[in-house]
Amino acid sequence: MDFSYTEEQQDVIKLAQQILGDQTEPAALKLIEEQRHRFDEKLWQDLAASGLLGVALSEANGGMAFGFETLCLLIEEVGRTVAPVPVIPVLVSALFLEQLGGEAFASTLADVATGKTLLSSAISEPGAEVRETPTTRAVADEEGWRLWGTKTCVPIAEHCAGVLVAAQTQGGVALFLVDPTTDTVTLQRQHVTCSESQYLMELEGTAATLLSDVAADVTAWLDALTVAYATMAVGVCDRMMRMSASYTSERQQFGVPVATFQAVGHRVADCFIDVECLRLVTQQAASLIDQGLPATDAALSAKIWTGDATHRVSQASQHVHGGIGVDRDYPLFRYCLWARQLELSAGSSAEMTACLGKRIESQFSS
Amino acid sequence: MKIEFTDTQKALQTEVREYMRDIVTDDLREEMKNPEYFEGGGPVFREKFARMGRDGWIALSWPSALGGREATPMEQYIFTEEVMASGFPYPFLTTDAVGPVLAEHGSASIRDEVVKTILQGETVVAIGYSEPGAGTDLASLTTRAKRDGDDWVINGQKMWTSLANFADYIWLAARTDPDESKKHKGLTMFLIPADTPGFSHTPVWTLGVRTNATYYENLRIPDRYRVGEVNRGWKLITGQLNRERLSLVNHGPVEALYRRTAQWAAETALSDGSMLISRPWVQHNLARVKVGLDALRMMCLKQAWAMTEGALGMAEASAAKVYGTEFFVELYRLLLEIMGQSGVICADSPGAVLQGDIEHRYRVGSILTFGGGCNEIQRDIISAAGLWMPRAER
Repeated sequence: MDFSYTEEQQDVIKLAQQILGDQTEPAALKLIEEQRHRFDEKLWQDLAASGLLGVALSEANGGMAFGFETLCLLIEEVGRTVAPVPVIPVLVSALFLEQLGGEAFASTLADVATGKTLLSSAISEPGAEVRETPTTRAVADEEGWRLWGTKTCVPIAEHCAGVLVAAQTQGGVALFLVDPTTDTVTLQRQHVTCSESQYLMELEGTAATLLSDVAADVTAWLDALTVAYATMAVGVCDRMMRMSASYTSERQQFGVPVATFQAVGHRVADCFIDVECLRLVTQQAASLIDQGLPATDAALSAKIWTGDATHRVSQASQHVHGGIGVDRDYPLFRYCLWARQLELSAGSSAEMTACLGKRIESQFSS
Repeated sequence: MKIEFTDTQKALQTEVREYMRDIVTDDLREEMKNPEYFEGGGPVFREKFARMGRDGWIALSWPSALGGREATPMEQYIFTEEVMASGFPYPFLTTDAVGPVLAEHGSASIRDEVVKTILQGETVVAIGYSEPGAGTDLASLTTRAKRDGDDWVINGQKMWTSLANFADYIWLAARTDPDESKKHKGLTMFLIPADTPGFSHTPVWTLGVRTNATYYENLRIPDRYRVGEVNRGWKLITGQLNRERLSLVNHGPVEALYRRTAQWAAETALSDGSMLISRPWVQHNLARVKVGLDALRMMCLKQAWAMTEGALGMAEASAAKVYGTEFFVELYRLLLEIMGQSGVICADSPGAVLQGDIEHRYRVGSILTFGGGCNEIQRDIISAAGLWMPRAER
């Protein structure tokens, strides 16, 4: 039992804090948000130059091979700074392309590590539950696999060289890679709460590369994305809580800091408990994934805590700040918008609770 | 980060689990059905507790100089979890809170007379802190100890002195300096043998368990029963608090309740022949419990690890106390909802589910949210020590 970070993990945290911290001042974020896409190309290149984009990729593909748990530390820092960089879709997708795709994708993965290529994963469908079988269909002919179906809220799809997509084959669910720039893919931009560029993606007989037809691989991909979102939520919630603590310690009413009212102090203390719980269950899930152990229950648990904690911490933070908390000139609002986004990404608390409940039923029914 | 037990830790877990099967026998369970003996004190309990002493378990985390095995806080946590999950009413406050303080600060005669017998499982100590007028503001207590030659004469009343009906000693906080400005600095600790003339107790029946009011009327004891320096008792009270808080919110026993309820729901058929666990609302409650348990387990393990590393934070200890105690009540509620109407049937009545264990737990559940340092004070500690927020004057 050891809850400490290794030396290399501490180095990753420090490096990430240094690069992200320098470039996520409110003025810098505001400039990026005036662009068509909330994506900081320069920051992305700086992360590539530091080696952080390859933190979990193998050395053969230009990475550091530090594993999923260490990748999560980078993702947490992105959450803590709400940096406009798509670490989750690109880096988690890359990890699975490497694990399942093998050497055929070596040059794509090397380009991910150097910041030249972006990837994404499509996990949601309109009208389908995240953890159920997708309605997107895959059919094989002489030329290979073709996909028909619709995916929604696909991050950064317009800029990607490839998108990982789960689809239903005759033999069961399988994971594919599609090129979103081909004619058979229609992308429509969706404006979403957190302002990340997301897309409605329609696949109409799109040529696809099969990555795995093993159901467990599709589950592992979903688990990793789920835990990545939970990890980002840890960073987002931790920062909202600390902003609330420092703001209420400064803000005076009735001649005293408002933090001295127990009603305020206790609300922030409850955020502390939520963040601690969210952090611990997320670390547990990340650690299991890192070791290649079964992680679905832990991932669901982490996502349920994500859904609950993001909502509660965000609402408490806005509340104890008063009006300033919802003012777009004060930095809290970005965290609140991301909190909302993360709450519903990769499955809501209600859906994940139902899913976990079914798993408990089968665990106890012999 | 490695969030699994080592092989040695797993071996200890198995060893304690198997050992406790021989301790919690049917005759002990039968004895504990008597409300007087629910928290121990009966002859079977005495016999089993002494056996645990003889077998070296009580001394598990004690220093080797006192015959202990010097287990780490992580190992002690594993032991605690298994003992609590077994249902044995092990007096942790005696063995792990008061005992070590007596060993460190007690007089030579206390060390010979009491510490040795604690380690042998022959002694139970009740805690005499709270008073009718001193609860959360404990340092305002008024039980008075006056020096008289080589003796002390004690007068006052304590409340919620659990186990006092069978304890061998009372670990008593008394005021030795009546100067009001010296609130925390006027308290001294005493160990009162329960057979001392002037000591008496009356039962207080709470929602779920028996506790006691205890009375000290011109109770005279020799100075050798004083523990620590005169007027320096406060730090003996507060020194072990973080450690004690962790033992309040142990994960093992509630995990066992979750498993038993899920198993029961999987084996209980409804009138249409389907099993209760097939119902979405049942699955919802079980999943909610599981998710809460995951966080509790990680919190407990992290704290045991932090203690082993000598780095337990105050805010984290308080966060675990608040989260754990409030989650317990929620967990009992969610599990009892699964039982529905049967959730109110008490132990030994026809139709009781899981021997009425959770029906009873629900009734005692609230004690921990205000006992052991009430949760409002814990939240104050979290915001001040964890987030550096200023506090109002008290």
